[in-house]
Amino acid sequence: MEFTGEKTGAFLVLMVSGRMDTLTAPEFEAECARRMEAGETRLVLDLSRLAYISSAGLRSILSAAKQLKARGGDLAFCGLSGLVAEVFAVSGFAKLLPVFATREEALARP
Amino acid sequence: MSWLSEKRPQGLAFRLSALTLTAAGLVLALMSAATYFMAREALLKNAEESARTLAQALVMRIEARLAPISRVPQGVAYELEDGGLKGEAAILRRQRRVLADNEEIFGMAVAFEPDGTGEKQYAPYTFRSPLGPKATRLGGPAYRYHYMDWYQIPRELGRTTWSEPYFDEGGGGVLMATCSVPFFANAADGPLKRGQDRRVAGVVTADVSLEWLTRLVASVRVLDTGYASLISKNGTYLTHPAPGVAFNDTIFSRAEEHGDAALRKIGRDMLRGGERFVESRSLHTGKPGFLAYMPLPTTGWSLAVFSPRDELLADVHRQALVSGALGGGGFLLLAVLIALLARSITRPLRRLASAAREVAGGNLQAALPEPRARDEVSELAASFAHMQASLRDYIRDLTQATASRERMQSELRIAHDIQMGILPKLFPPLPDRGEIDLFASLTPAREVGGDFYDFFPVGRDQFCFLVGDVSGKGVPAAFYMAVAKTLLKSVAESAGGRGQRRGEDRSAERAAGGEALKTGEAGGGRSGPDPARILARVNDDLAKDNDSCMFVTIFCAVLDLNTGELRHASAGHNPPLMLRAGAAPEYLPAPGDPVAGAMTGVRYESGSLRLGPGDAILLYTDGVTEAMNPAQELYGEARLMELAAKSAGQDAKGLCDELAAGVHSFADGAEQSDDITLLALRYRGAERTTTD
Repeated sequence: MEFTGEKTGAFLVLMVSGRMDTLTAPEFEAECARRMEAGETRLVLDLSRLAYISSAGLRSILSAAKQLKARGGDLAFCGLSGLVAEVFAVSGFAKLLPVFATREEALARP
Repeated sequence: MSWLSEKRPQGLAFRLSALTLTAAGLVLALMSAATYFMAREALLKNAEESARTLAQALVMRIEARLAPISRVPQGVAYELEDGGLKGEAAILRRQRRVLADNEEIFGMAVAFEPDGTGEKQYAPYTFRSPLGPKATRLGGPAYRYHYMDWYQIPRELGRTTWSEPYFDEGGGGVLMATCSVPFFANAADGPLKRGQDRRVAGVVTADVSLEWLTRLVASVRVLDTGYASLISKNGTYLTHPAPGVAFNDTIFSRAEEHGDAALRKIGRDMLRGGERFVESRSLHTGKPGFLAYMPLPTTGWSLAVFSPRDELLADVHRQALVSGALGGGGFLLLAVLIALLARSITRPLRRLASAAREVAGGNLQAALPEPRARDEVSELAASFAHMQASLRDYIRDLTQATASRERMQSELRIAHDIQMGILPKLFPPLPDRGEIDLFASLTPAREVGGDFYDFFPVGRDQFCFLVGDVSGKGVPAAFYMAVAKTLLKSVAESAGGRGQRRGEDRSAERAAGGEALKTGEAGGGRSGPDPARILARVNDDLAKDNDSCMFVTIFCAVLDLNTGELRHASAGHNPPLMLRAGAAPEYLPAPGDPVAGAMTGVRYESGSLRLGPGDAILLYTDGVTEAMNPAQELYGEARLMELAAKSAGQDAKGLCDELAAGVHSFADGAEQSDDITLLALRYRGAERTTTD
């Protein structure tokens, strides 16, 4: 699993690539903790290169979203496709969390 | 047993000893050999020196006696030449005096040159007789002395000569040699004057007894069997240790007799006055040895000294024998010492090896030998002790860990039993009602998991069934599952209970929360609880204080057994598969409502459909669709639908079994990563026998 961070205005766009499952979810959690430690509160996860996400991955995302919210920030998503988009749709995460089609849309929020 | 395995192993001690002893033995042997050869060389060199010295000393001793003797007749000759001795009386007087002063001189003659005819011979001669000195005259028709060697040779040579030694019969059978000195005169009578022609006037002789000489030479002993011998100018042996050789044999006759060419060569060199040290074999003793010879200048004889080789080298041999014995003894001592040393070095090793065998056999408490000295063996022993201690600790830890894991395993087994126990397993679920055929199965990936299913009647004609899947696996998921399942049932039953117990106290039900669940329900009782309401309620309860951020997907449905009306809601769960009688299977569209437990205040939508007789609905968890084969391919919804279509004719149990078997065969031995849950319900239609 790989992460590429890119600071755009108040947002930090985190490109997540690979698979997010029981094994790799802790990596994601550690990466988020590090970003939050660095003072980031508004995260946009670009999942266009994420191939797979399991329920453990969803749990990590939920955990990150709650922590960001507690710090007055938020967590948004963009670039969902294929299996990941399906999982987001079926699990209702698309309803729970802000999901955008493109990065630009995600960054255009107030 | 082959002969190879019976071969005794050659121990370290044996190899150490063998190597050291071989090296030591080799060095010792080389040193002994070198010492022996060097000593022999030195001794042989010494032997030559001593043989030469011996011969030289002997020659000097002989010369010291012979030279003065030859000067006696010389003195008489000078007096005759100078005219100091005139007349027979004076000559005899002088001869008598000479005999009195020189005991080696047996007799003295003054032989005058005879005249031309040889008739007139005149030679006064005095010799020792048993009765004292006796004077006589030599010469006459019977003894023409001027033809004798003793006269003729010095006369012709004009110098002093020594005759060949001889035995003098007249003189008592003693060995004698005659020293002859010529004296000269001028052509005219009178004292001899220089520068004038001179002629031999006669010869003065001294007969010298050589008894002392033979005794002297015979008394010479060289080592044990070595000897000295003397040969004359002709090669005749004058003295020889072998009896009958002296005066009978010459060196050449002996050489001829024994075919000894070397001896002949030596003889020739001796007669030439040669002086040499040569290797030779004694004809007398038959021993090899060394011959040192040198001439006697006065007489022209030659003296030889023979030293036998073996006796010369006896010392060396003795020394070599002694040093060999000493070396051998030392070697044996060394062997014993090295063997002891090697054994003492390897003893702790052997003890360590036997202790190691014991440890290897499983006795970790085996006592290790205490090292006596600080050396490599003690280091090995220390390392080994350390290893033993580490092994002991490791085994203890492992035992503890194993015990702990076994305890955990046992607890997990019990937890598994409990988890399986809370799932309903009574099929058919409503034995007294024939409207539905239901079967469910759950195969956990581990001992405990997060999947669950449930079904129970809610109210008289309503039947609730559901499938849930908690995020994650293992013990946390199991806990969450138990909470979610319990909550679901209690919420659903409390809502359904109101419908069942319509006639009872409504205020009590309102207090229990049933009010909220029934909101929006027209007619109340008969339609049962609303799945969306159940989920909303359960979600709120689960999401409250959910720090672990776990959640659960749930598909919950309530079936009206009389009408076949099915209301359903989904909290992020996989869409169920509809198997309508006589139609292709299709997935129920997912409403996309969120998982339960994530956040409070989520609203859920209920869907509604009607099951006709023979229609079935299949609920499952993602353990089915995300089962993987060894090639990491997902089972997928398409395969599920395909297999379900094939198995649609089966009853609920048959359908579940077929589908589970299909997933299992697809996985083809790959590890099951998630719980697999299947719930199939077929509606058979309203019961005909029902009394309404």
